[in-house]
Amino acid sequence: MIPHDRQKAGLGGRPSLQMQKMFHRVMQADPMAVRQALIDIRARFGDDVSHDTIGRLELVLAEVMNNITEHTAPSRTDGLRRSASMIHLSIVRDSTGLACAVSDDGQSLPEDCLRPRTLPEAAHPDMPEGGYGWFLIQDLTQALCYYREGSRNFLAFNIPFAA
Amino acid sequence: MQFIVADGGPYLHVTVQESRIDAAIATGFKDKLRSIVVTAKKPVLLDMRGVDFMDSSGLGAMIAVRKALPENLPIVLDGVTPNVERVFRLTRMDRVFRINAIAIEGND
Repeated sequence: MIPHDRQKAGLGGRPSLQMQKMFHRVMQADPMAVRQALIDIRARFGDDVSHDTIGRLELVLAEVMNNITEHTAPSRTDGLRRSASMIHLSIVRDSTGLACAVSDDGQSLPEDCLRPRTLPEAAHPDMPEGGYGWFLIQDLTQALCYYREGSRNFLAFNIPFAA
Repeated sequence: MQFIVADGGPYLHVTVQESRIDAAIATGFKDKLRSIVVTAKKPVLLDMRGVDFMDSSGLGAMIAVRKALPENLPIVLDGVTPNVERVFRLTRMDRVFRINAIAIEGND
């Protein structure tokens, strides 16, 4: 098959295919790298999706990557000096929303994170200051799935256009 | 960490000068803002017009600041942008702060 034919495969010979915007970034698991990626994602998709959708995307990705950053500290027991985990992030716009895939080479994700979460019932002054991240991720995503392969974690989910 | 503080009226007026309250700055944000609000012994009006993003670590910082004041001294969050309001609403922390939101823009 010559390259020209291959490009047309499955498209019924139509000369053009509707290109969907995507974003890919490989970065160190570091709060400033995460912040910059989120700013760049807003710039990439901001013209195409609503403020509401981009806001939900930004929040979920922040929570996912913050968790990776927090749990990437080298283990003291392994006796080996490890560099910071590397995060690989891909986002593709499709017809229903923004499909996201995040992988990293940090510790494996505790199963508890993926179990259904409820918010703590708390009133002043006993409000917990943490524990909201996975609640937000679960609340704002669809088709959230996780697997570990070798030393890498893979997390995939969709941010729907309509909440 | 930049805040503008005005202590003239019934409220301590504090304006947040950061556009993002995220994991990169949450700890410094919490420590600085807490030290500002505990000295005044009066309710706080926190101007958040300039904040267009907050994650759960930023929320945690806000909760820590809230807990530093007794219940009878409210913290009013003024000019909360839709992106920030979402985090307070979804985590039901809109019951702990008084929130004056900016009108939400159109959806998809």
